[in-house]
This record gives sequence, structure tokens and C-alpha cells, in this order.
Amino acid sequence: MRAALKLTLFLIVLGGLVAFPRMVQSPYFLQLMILVFLAVAQGQSWNILGGYAGQHSVGHAAYFGVGAYVTLILLQSRQIPPWWGIWAGVVVAVIVALIIGAICFRLRGPYFVLASIAVAEIMRLSATNLKGLTNGAEGILATDIPSLRWGERVVADFSISKVPFYYIGLGLALLTLGVAWGVAHSKLGYYLQAIREDQDAAHSLGIPIARYKNYGLMISAALTSMTGSFFGVFVGFVDPPTVLGLDVSVQIMLICIIGGMGTLYGPVLGAVVLVPLAEALRSNAVTDLLVKVGAVSPESKVGLFLKENLSHAHVLIYGILVVLVILFMPEGIVGALRKLTARRRREVA
Amino acid sequence: MSIFLYSLISGILTGGVYALIGIGLTLIFGVMRIINFAHGDLMMLGMYGTYLLSTFLGVDPFVSVLLVFPAMFLFGGLLQKALINRMLTSVAQNQILLTIGLGLILSNTVMLIFTSDYKTVTTSYASSTLKLSENVSVSAPLLVAFSITAAITAGLYWFLQKTDTGQAIRATAQDRDAARLMGINVSRMSILAFGLGSALAGTAGALLMPTTYTFPQIGSVFTLKAFVITVLGGMGSVVGATLGGILIGIAESLSAVYISSGWKDVAVFVLFLLVLLFKPSGLLGKSRT
Repeated sequence: MRAALKLTLFLIVLGGLVAFPRMVQSPYFLQLMILVFLAVAQGQSWNILGGYAGQHSVGHAAYFGVGAYVTLILLQSRQIPPWWGIWAGVVVAVIVALIIGAICFRLRGPYFVLASIAVAEIMRLSATNLKGLTNGAEGILATDIPSLRWGERVVADFSISKVPFYYIGLGLALLTLGVAWGVAHSKLGYYLQAIREDQDAAHSLGIPIARYKNYGLMISAALTSMTGSFFGVFVGFVDPPTVLGLDVSVQIMLICIIGGMGTLYGPVLGAVVLVPLAEALRSNAVTDLLVKVGAVSPESKVGLFLKENLSHAHVLIYGILVVLVILFMPEGIVGALRKLTARRRREVA
Repeated sequence: MSIFLYSLISGILTGGVYALIGIGLTLIFGVMRIINFAHGDLMMLGMYGTYLLSTFLGVDPFVSVLLVFPAMFLFGGLLQKALINRMLTSVAQNQILLTIGLGLILSNTVMLIFTSDYKTVTTSYASSTLKLSENVSVSAPLLVAFSITAAITAGLYWFLQKTDTGQAIRATAQDRDAARLMGINVSRMSILAFGLGSALAGTAGALLMPTTYTFPQIGSVFTLKAFVITVLGGMGSVVGATLGGILIGIAESLSAVYISSGWKDVAVFVLFLLVLLFKPSGLLGKSRT
């Protein structure tokens, strides 16, 4: 019964999302939705390793950057369209993951976190220094993306509108959701959760820890790389700080932590909360709202200061959110909601 | 040969200042088993403190240490009391995330106030050098910074080894529960340790200001450097952190000369991974279970 209800709800939401671009023409909202899909996919990819297996990587920018760079390098220098480039990115990301796994999984806890950061930083510095391959700090600009054709018919023309990106983003979010669901309900998922709860106990039960952690990492890296490819083509530009920076890793992780680690809905909720918040700050919507309500006058010093600076403040708000979430709801939004419903159930009973 | 000697010496001098950052991190880790991801941002605060004092009040950067040290001590103590003490018993990943969040708040608040422009302090002696021999000279401000670092490190070592409070801090680092049973106020020692750690990081920032520039995001690079230093020396060991700092300073300045300045940070991280893999307890650390 409850499963049927959930499925119906899911299909209704999905139907709404598929119909969305037909009802809403505003490119602003379309862009916002694409960013939400991207964040859902990123958070869910991280979730597989960080949430289910409990390996808190702070270096996922490495895979994100690999996806973005491989796809754009192939597009710009070999004219290989991104729908092939994305798979090349996945292959490279999985190879990188195998190397990183071999190094980092020998370490635990804080040492694993440190090693994952170090590896991502090595990748960022290499991308900055390997000028011949990556064009260094200047980055790569994607000049024009060929349209996707099926025979003679143009299926998706990326130059006219953002709608093709919308559906690809939706597909990517659904793909990661599906993979996470599959992992959570398979032997792999149970093994990963056992490793998260108690690595030594899992080991003594005969779970090959290193191998299963590597499976988790490979899946997570492949999906993260796909989100990177998508981002690179969507934005049309990559450079080392925007795809390989430490704050990229932190943001990927945050989506999952604020939503709730190790749950299927967590990254979705995290993305739905974080992305509009960041965009509202970036586009000065918050200042405009304060002015409209009459809290600050636009000509006053405070008003001017907010207008000037609040758009840069979204990372500050991220920081404050992290601290608040960790202090007051360490299990994220999903954990807090569960606690709330559990209490209500107890009161009813 | 003179180039080699020059970069070796300036590596040792810069490494001495790095060591101060590492000692702060290792002290915090030793007492609380918390890895402070906001450590570089605390150093950045020290840099901006010195920048303010020097630009608006005309205080010499090296003299500003006298104000930066106590100010950062109070700030660090406050952070510990208000936020981190609540997290001591929670899982490691949440402690890490809390300090990452703190770091984001610090760096972005500074960015809101000062914008992300590079800031420098101007001194009359910024590029003055001291001739050691016919063709080897060292930067004078680096030498002064190194001497102050050495004095502070010696003072800290004396404090930890000889005073009652220092012994209480070390006892807390060795075994929290046993220390509490012996009547040591463990939460006060934590506040003291975090305050000292912040003060050392801030001081290192102040000492670097005459020879370098600062910007709000500079912290993350130094947080990573501080990790490398402490892991190299063995987490929780003051002597190890000093050695680690100097080693990193040398590695950086030699690879800047002999490989390229772009790759020097890569050399540091590769060294870091190698140590993590082959001697995770550090060069001087005892292996812990």
C-alpha cells in the first residue's frame, strides 16, 4: 500500500517535471531547475560512497573535473560530440578512481579525508600546469556544440534553448537516483553499509572490504564524472578552480550532508534547499526582497552594501548552514523529519 | 652552488614559520583528536590583523605579533567554548564538517569586508638582505621571522614541559579520562589548547606578511600545508611538527628552483601521500593502535 502510494507520488512529480518546460518559458527558472538536477545528481553520486559506505571523500572534485575536462578537450581538439565524450570521461574517471582507491582506502577516518583532498589538489595543480593538454589557468571554452541527430532529424539543438539541457539534466538526476536505489537494495549496498557501521566487524564476517569500497568508489566516480561532463557542456567553459577546486568537493558533499547522508531522499532535499538559496543570494533576490518589504531602503548605506556584497555571500551562507546543521540536526533534513514523525507516532500511540 | 645554498636557507627559514602553523594544528589534534580544517583560515585572520595594524595604525608587522597573539588566543578560546566543545563526543566526520564550515564562514566574512583583492604591508626592509658570505645572502625579514618563531617555539616547549598547566595539557592529550580522574579540568585544557593553536597560526600569518601577500581564500592552501607538516612529523608531536615544517619549506623552495614554481605544491602533496602510505605515524611519531 505505502509502496504504491510512493510510486504514484513519484510518477506525479515526474510527470510535472517532464511537462515543466512546456508550461514555464522563463529561461531563469529553466536554468534554476537544471542546476537543481545537477546538484541532485552530484549529491546522489557522493552519497553512494560517502553516505552508504561511510567513506567521506572531500576530493570528489577530482572526478567532476575529469568528466568536464575530458569531454571539453575531446570536443574542442578532436570535434568529438559530448554524447560520446561523456563516456570517455567515465572511463578515465573509473581509472583515476582505481588509482585513488588503491592509495586512499589503505587509510581510515581523518587520514582518508586528508588523502582524498591531497589527490584532488594534485589533479587541480596538474590541470593548471599541463598547459598543452588543458590550456592551463585560462581554461577551455566550448565554441559550438553539434546538434544531436537521429538519421536526418535533429533531436536536440543545443544552441537555441536550454530545454535539451533540462531533459538531459532530469535524466541524469533520475539515473543517479536509480543507481543509488539499486545499490541500496543490493548485496553491494548491504556490504557497504556494514563497512560504514563497523569496518572491523564487517571484515571479520568475511566481507572483502577493500574490493567493495572500490566498487562503491568506481560507481560514485563514474556518476560524478557524468555530472562533470554535463556541467562542462552546459556552462561551455572549464578552468581548474571551477571544476577541480576544494570548494567544489565541499559543495558536492554539502548537498548530501544537509539533506541526509545514506538516504535516497537526502541529496534530493539538499539540492532543493541549497540551489535556490545560492541562486537567490547570487542574483540579489534577497536584497530586492528586503527592499520591497521595506526592511532596508535601497539608497541607504546598508542597502547599497547588501546589493554590492550579498551576491558574493552564498558561500558564507553555506558555511553558516553547515555549522547549524551539524550542531542542531547532524542527520540532515531527512534525519530531522524522521525524528519529527517518530515523535508524532509515539504521541498518537 | 650558491643558488642551492640560497634556496636551502630560505627554505629552512620559511619552513620555520610553517612549523608554527603545524605546531598549532598538532596541539589541537593532540588534546582533542579533532582535525581543525579551519586552521589556515585562522592564520589568514592573523594576516589581516597585521595588515590592519600596519596600514591604519602604522604598527610594524613584527611588533604586531604582540597584539595578534593574544587576540587570536581569545578568539580561538571562544570558538572552542562556544562551538567545538559541544562536538567533542560526536563522530569524527561531524567534527571535520564543523571546522570546514567554520573555515568557510571566516574566509567569506573576510571577503565581504575586505573584498578578494590581494593585500600587502609595506615595510622599509621588505627586500633587504643579509650577506652571509661572498655570494650567499638571506632575506632579512625572513631571518627575523624565523628568529621570532624559534623563540616562540622554545617558549611553548618550556611551557608544555615545565609548567603545571603545560603538564595538564599534555596529560589531557595522553588520556582524557585519566586526566579527568586526576582532577584536571579537561574542558578548560581544550579551550586553552585551541586558543594556543589559533594564536600560533595567527602569529605565523603575521610573521609571513612582510614577505608575502594575503587574500581571503589563502587559508585553504595553508590548512593543507599544515596537515602535511603534522602528518609528516607525526600527529600530536611538537618536535615532529617543527621538523615537518622545515622539511616542507626546503622541499618547496628546492622544487621551485629545480622543477618549476607551478609544480612545487604538487611535490608537497606527493610527499604527503607517500608518508601517509608508508609511514602513517609520521617520521617521529610512535605508531598508535
